[in-house]
Amino acid sequence: MAKATMITFLLAGIFTFSLNAMAQEKSKPGEHDHHDHSGHSMSQDSDPAVDHQDEQTTTMDHEGHDHSIDHSAHSVQATEHGDLHHHHHMDHDHIMDHEGTMIMGQNLDTLPSSCKSISEEVEITVRAGRKYAAKFPGTAFAFDQQQWNVKPCAKVTWHFINEDHIRHQFMMHGLPKYLYKYGMFHLEVTGPKTVSGTIIVPATDETYLVHCDISQHMEKGMKAQLVVGKGGENIPSIPGLTPYNLTDTYESENLPKVSDKTDKDSITNQVIEFINTNSRDYGAMLMGILIGLLSLPLVKKITFRKKND
Amino acid sequence: MPIPIFIAILTFYAMSSAVAVQASLKLPETVKVDPAALTSEPMCDPKISPSWRAAQEIEGVKIAASPGCSPDNPAWIAAAVKGTNNISMETLMKTGLSPDAIIKTDDLDGDGDPDRIIIKLEIMELNGRTPDFQGLVPTFDIAPGIQPGAWVFAPKTSGMSTENFESVRANPLLRLPSPVIRVEVGDIVQIVLENTHYFPHSIHLHGVDHPFSHGEHGGQDGVPQTSEVELMPGERRVYEFQARQSGTMFYHCHVQTHTHLSMGLAGMIIIEENKPNNWLQTLNIGGGHVRHPSVAVLEQFDQEYDLHYHAMDKELGQIIQKYNDPRLIARDMNRRYDITDSTEDYFTLNGLSFPYTLRESLIIVEPDQKIKLRLLNSGGEMIAVHTHGHHATITHYDGVEHNPIAQIMRDVFDMAPAQRLDLKLETVNDGKHSYGEGDWLFHDHREKGITTDGMAEGGSMSSIVYKSYLNGDGLPKVSHFGIDLNKYFTKEYYERRLPIWQDLDEWASLGSPAGQSNIDATTQTSLLNVLYGLLIGFFTYLIIAKRQQIKQTVSGVTSRLKSPKGGTNNG
Repeated sequence: MAKATMITFLLAGIFTFSLNAMAQEKSKPGEHDHHDHSGHSMSQDSDPAVDHQDEQTTTMDHEGHDHSIDHSAHSVQATEHGDLHHHHHMDHDHIMDHEGTMIMGQNLDTLPSSCKSISEEVEITVRAGRKYAAKFPGTAFAFDQQQWNVKPCAKVTWHFINEDHIRHQFMMHGLPKYLYKYGMFHLEVTGPKTVSGTIIVPATDETYLVHCDISQHMEKGMKAQLVVGKGGENIPSIPGLTPYNLTDTYESENLPKVSDKTDKDSITNQVIEFINTNSRDYGAMLMGILIGLLSLPLVKKITFRKKND
Repeated sequence: MPIPIFIAILTFYAMSSAVAVQASLKLPETVKVDPAALTSEPMCDPKISPSWRAAQEIEGVKIAASPGCSPDNPAWIAAAVKGTNNISMETLMKTGLSPDAIIKTDDLDGDGDPDRIIIKLEIMELNGRTPDFQGLVPTFDIAPGIQPGAWVFAPKTSGMSTENFESVRANPLLRLPSPVIRVEVGDIVQIVLENTHYFPHSIHLHGVDHPFSHGEHGGQDGVPQTSEVELMPGERRVYEFQARQSGTMFYHCHVQTHTHLSMGLAGMIIIEENKPNNWLQTLNIGGGHVRHPSVAVLEQFDQEYDLHYHAMDKELGQIIQKYNDPRLIARDMNRRYDITDSTEDYFTLNGLSFPYTLRESLIIVEPDQKIKLRLLNSGGEMIAVHTHGHHATITHYDGVEHNPIAQIMRDVFDMAPAQRLDLKLETVNDGKHSYGEGDWLFHDHREKGITTDGMAEGGSMSSIVYKSYLNGDGLPKVSHFGIDLNKYFTKEYYERRLPIWQDLDEWASLGSPAGQSNIDATTQTSLLNVLYGLLIGFFTYLIIAKRQQIKQTVSGVTSRLKSPKGGTNNG
């Protein structure tokens, strides 16, 4: 699994990570004053704040409706998600743009208490989409890989590429809660589009659940695990990797086959078909007859002896 | 040998008849269920803030008071009226909606309201299966403990499908029914379906003026046999229309309609008249009270309610709870489920059954009001909605106004599947429009419509409640009649484990009798032990008494088995 993982080591350019923090790779550089690289002191420094203030003063009964005129300048196609300069929400651990592209629980520089230093810096590209479920019969959605391995205290930048035309999430659970709200790290994006975010994993060997929390996406295959160091207990029901806790039962169906079709009219075929469909019943009956014949002498002996007595 | 057996049987019979006589002299006691043994829920959902009930203004959007116990989140209404693109991040964060869920732009006709409306819908499964544990995710109760497997069109959300990472309860945006959509005549509307579900789906705009085909977006009628192929999981499709006629209409999935519609992929869509400054509440999530009605409705009415009646088959919903593999679900749904042999078990109003209808589907009125009711029947059978204490006027059938002179008043409103009715309810106390103030039931008068899987009281019933009959929690005031509705807010009631009449008098004359055996369990077992002992003793006696005979038989049989030949010869 790990072999196939696209891991790139960044030897230099640590500070570029802070740029990766931006959810919107599409956004024009001029639109944001950008945050300092701590990533935790991102304040309302981008223009949307001004925008919103403007809107708050606009009431329903207003004439003029500055904002709607404003928007008429943008060509809004459903597929283009409207205008690009709205809703760049930022607080300590929650970054979201106008399309709902989201980074939550990112940690660019705070070392977990168990780590003395960052052991390695890796970039991992994760692809998500329906097509990755094709190799796992009985699933509907999947990530391109089901497991990633990193060293304890690694700083990992995830590039989450959603190849579907719907929302997907890259949600990780079980991280230390003093660093990550609810112990979660969460990337979310409507595809086809990419979002990137960074975490620093603790020093302990542990296996973390990675999934998409949209209803039934995890259950139907979009589930994976991040193994730190030697890892901990496996996460169940990861396609092709770990067994399901609850399994379905399967029975083969009597589906039409091409071979059924050839010479369907011939009598021999009908006879064969008859025998095939009835062989189980007749087989059982044959067994019964055999058993009866074999045990007949025994029964006879006993009954005759009784009479003799 | 037969004599001792005969004596034994006689003795046993005498003993048991003596016990029976004793039993009929004193019938079993009534066992009364202690209310403390029930899993009681608060009548009013404590997760919903009472502050949401007040009239308020958010983002410049005037939101009418809604004194019921579970009113809509006002932030939802502000977002639906302004568009998620035109509100502050603070308000947006209170909605849980994706920032691109409702995009409103371009005042094309210059009348003061936006005319390009983009609504993004996802498809969410409720009460589905997980391979990880026994139990359902994300859960949505239509009544206490009742969790039918369901699918809904949901407004595009942001974040988790559950309330939070520790809960299995669905995010409040993921619920039955599919949201009510409101747009204006002349709006260029795009309904963008993002198929987040594992099955193919579509949208058919029943009754809405829409083109059969669109140059850019392809087929628009949602029918896989006529206009378009099924929209596969992970894909997106745009349905674009510019309606020329107003009215109460219907949207639903048209893929395997006989199951997908019943599963919950059905909602109301209302085309409002084009009026100046007509900022519409584009989505009424959960239906019910419209807290920001259109200009046209406000010209004629004091209030407006969306009432979506639906019915579901328990066995159909169980298919998605039985398997995890989508192929097995598809097999059972498409080829093994036979709708012609099915029955509807759950009857809902705005996605919920009684008693939850009391939380959010009360029609709360004051005397001398005019109230617009929009009704949709998305169930598979005819329904007959009856209003206690009121006759209402049918103004529109299937979105088309009925000739005003010919409009009639009724107190039973029959609705064929997919039918819509607009009603004018007037709370004028004249003995015809209204008989006066009260807590007046309104319900489907097919009697199964007031049951939940056959257990009354349930189903789609709710009330027209005058404000003087509303308690502080926004629920009907009934305690002064000595009525206690608490028992309905327990799952045991719908599990049929609570004798419903046990509290009608002090000695529970119609409660549940204790077991038929008048002997308590320990005496019963000790009596049985005595009987076993007797039997063992009897057989031991037989074995000892007839030991010679037994010995002979055994040796005879073994010798015969040892020398089969000799045996046959002898025979």
